[in-house]
Amino acid sequence: MAAATGLLAACGGSDDRFPDRIQPAIAPDGTKTLRMGNGAEPQSLDPDESSGVPAANIEVNLYEGLVSHAADGKLIPGDAKSWDISANHKTYIFHLRHDAKWSNGAPVSAQQYVYSLRRSVAPATASPYADIHSPIVNATAIVDGKKKPATLGVKALDKHTLQIKLKKPTPFFINTLAHPSSFPVYPPAVKKWGHSFTQPGHAVTNGAYQMESWRVNDKIALKRNPYFWDNKDTKIDRVVFYPITDGNSELARYQAGALDWTSGVPTSKIQTIKQHIPGQYHSVPTLGSFYLDLNVTRPPFKGNRKLRMALSMALNRKVMVNKILRGNEPPAYSWIPTVVRGYKSVQFPWADWPAKKRIARARQLYHEAGYSKDHPLKAELLYVSSSESEKRISIVAAAMWRKVLGAQITTTNQEWKVYLQTARRKIDTQIVFAGWYGDYQDPNTFFSIMKSGSGNNYTGYDSKVYDRAITASEHTPSGPKRTALMHKAEKVLLHDSPIIPLFFVTAHHLIKPYVKGFVHNPLDMYSARFFNIVPVNNSRKSQ
Amino acid sequence: MLSYTVRRVLGAIPTLFVLLTLSFLLVHLAPGSPFDTARQMPPEVRANLMAKYHLNEPIYEQYGRYLYNIAHFDFGPSYQYKDTSVNSLIATGFPVSLTVGGFALLIALALGVPLGMLAAVRQNHAVDYSASAFALLGISIPNFVIGPLLILWFAVDNDWLPAGGLGSWESYVLPVIALAVAFIAYVARLMRASTIEVLRSNYVRTARAKGLSSYRIFFIHVLPAAILPVVSFLGPATAAILTGSVVIEQVFGIPGLGRFFVNGALNRDYTLVLGITLFYGIIIIFFNLLVDILYGWLDPRVAY
Repeated sequence: MAAATGLLAACGGSDDRFPDRIQPAIAPDGTKTLRMGNGAEPQSLDPDESSGVPAANIEVNLYEGLVSHAADGKLIPGDAKSWDISANHKTYIFHLRHDAKWSNGAPVSAQQYVYSLRRSVAPATASPYADIHSPIVNATAIVDGKKKPATLGVKALDKHTLQIKLKKPTPFFINTLAHPSSFPVYPPAVKKWGHSFTQPGHAVTNGAYQMESWRVNDKIALKRNPYFWDNKDTKIDRVVFYPITDGNSELARYQAGALDWTSGVPTSKIQTIKQHIPGQYHSVPTLGSFYLDLNVTRPPFKGNRKLRMALSMALNRKVMVNKILRGNEPPAYSWIPTVVRGYKSVQFPWADWPAKKRIARARQLYHEAGYSKDHPLKAELLYVSSSESEKRISIVAAAMWRKVLGAQITTTNQEWKVYLQTARRKIDTQIVFAGWYGDYQDPNTFFSIMKSGSGNNYTGYDSKVYDRAITASEHTPSGPKRTALMHKAEKVLLHDSPIIPLFFVTAHHLIKPYVKGFVHNPLDMYSARFFNIVPVNNSRKSQ
Repeated sequence: MLSYTVRRVLGAIPTLFVLLTLSFLLVHLAPGSPFDTARQMPPEVRANLMAKYHLNEPIYEQYGRYLYNIAHFDFGPSYQYKDTSVNSLIATGFPVSLTVGGFALLIALALGVPLGMLAAVRQNHAVDYSASAFALLGISIPNFVIGPLLILWFAVDNDWLPAGGLGSWESYVLPVIALAVAFIAYVARLMRASTIEVLRSNYVRTARAKGLSSYRIFFIHVLPAAILPVVSFLGPATAAILTGSVVIEQVFGIPGLGRFFVNGALNRDYTLVLGITLFYGIIIIFFNLLVDILYGWLDPRVAY
């Protein structure tokens, strides 16, 4: 019994002590190592095979695209030092830097970009992101197997000049070139090693770092690429990525001084951390949104806009983010996250209404939709079983609907793969908890998923007005005309309310005080070449 | 003995075949596919991916292809860890699980057996009560509680041992302890119960009546008989412990087989799940055989 009491005391007492060791990993020879928690094990480090955040986090360190992202996520020149866009916005000419080199010292050439882009759309590669290249001439037909990869609208004009031809003007095309699936691969390595060309000893990369070692589920270590064109400005010599899925384990390793950076922070620990090490806690608003999908292909939401709007208005998003999530998440009253650059999103007209007025209007709409105390709405909300925060938000949403409207919403959960299947079938679902992370810095990465044919549209929403506006915006050069089209689409979407935006995603990181150079990046993807490690003092405990 | 072993090994082949067939059908019956991801791919992209991994073929063709590959000791490519093969995942994960599990098992035996015997000999005394209390605690506290507590004490509060990951020998200490605690407790309980039973048997009483020394009685007559339940427990326990504990691996961030297995199942990585299932099956059969042979050696009543 004594032992049991001791155990409980230890559990209860852990919140009061918050040890935190700050010793940077600098070897006696001055080698600086950055140790980063990276969530999960990447599925692949082949830019054309991989998908998901953990892989992309590593790939932006290993590879450099024609264009790249600065520390703050702004688009900057990468392997291409400049580019020209034709008057009709359909031909791009990229001028590659002459000092761009692979990690074996070989120069990066335009021909290699041609090879890599063709590989990315070739059916044999089966790249999950092949469709991101669809603006390029013939890309879609090649993915479909109707044309040969050699017909792709990409051509090397000479060793250092690359021409890409587009089907139609596409203002966000340049942003997709910073996506990993547009990164070049080293043709001789791919030809020699096949699917294992990413492994240590085989991998040849053109980014600031190269592969040092890789042990699945343990760590991936990268070392400096001495041939990288900007090697002289790169301060960190090694980057080690640890695939730690358990948030509490990651926090323990950070506290023990074995990590300099965490991929997240357990929700339950945010308050303690803010109290003990506020200077090391960073919350970054990102290109991500969480929302509820209402299945508009079946009752009760089919043809009942007032009901959908009533449910949306009945939710107090501020309570959700301040009391449940507690991580500075912005409540969402629009479809496009507020951090998207160059676009000011349209808000619900009632976004700033006082709670009383909003609730009264929600009740009125609920009654007009044909529901009442005696005839309450009965529906089911589906979320993913492994997500603790989705579970809590779902329960709170159901409670708010019950309190404000008297609606009887039950919550149910399914394992991830089953959930995906159920949500996409749109037969058994009514309300589905969903989230979306943008692939590139443009509102289109969000707008496109609500188009009628999109596989990621779990609502079945099918609006000609919306589709026309978005399709037109995809081919209208950036400017007031394009913005007007997007505003029109967002307004229609909010009015029709097939979705209930809840909150935008905020990434949470713990970063040791000796890691310098961190700035907020809405893509939440960081290349270590922009960081440095500078010991702050000799004390072992931080503030 | 030799013909018995040969018979058992031959008998294992149909068992493994049934295991493989059932598992193959079950993983393919599970809803969702390996390539269902948050961002749904256009149908053409998905079709290319399914074709690349032959998942567009009829199920019997996939099964035939799988059997053919297995016969050539090729477990296929992993669908989840695309840059590597199931063979190499097992080859890297198994030594880790073997090390952690092997040491945990050794500690469990080295501490559990004497503890159980001591408790039996000093039945209803302070030693017995303490041992039983420890055993009860060890069995009831799950290792997802013990693991983080150990990390908190030894790595976070005090800078004595690493908080996770694999590196030097020190990084093995905490996971081995966390894994061993429940096994020590279980072995101690088994050992205590069986020792008490054997101590009351007629042949032990006869031995005492003959005036044999306590030492002789205990180590020559009691121990071999009392350890039998522990030995039968060891077969499946060794197989389970060697193929990795997903909780321990998750908490300590260890790249063992257990995490591969669970992640493989969650991600519908058919080849990885089947590969580890088959591997697990072979290990279970091997250790059960080993236990049966040990039985014949320990218990004179058993003959082959």
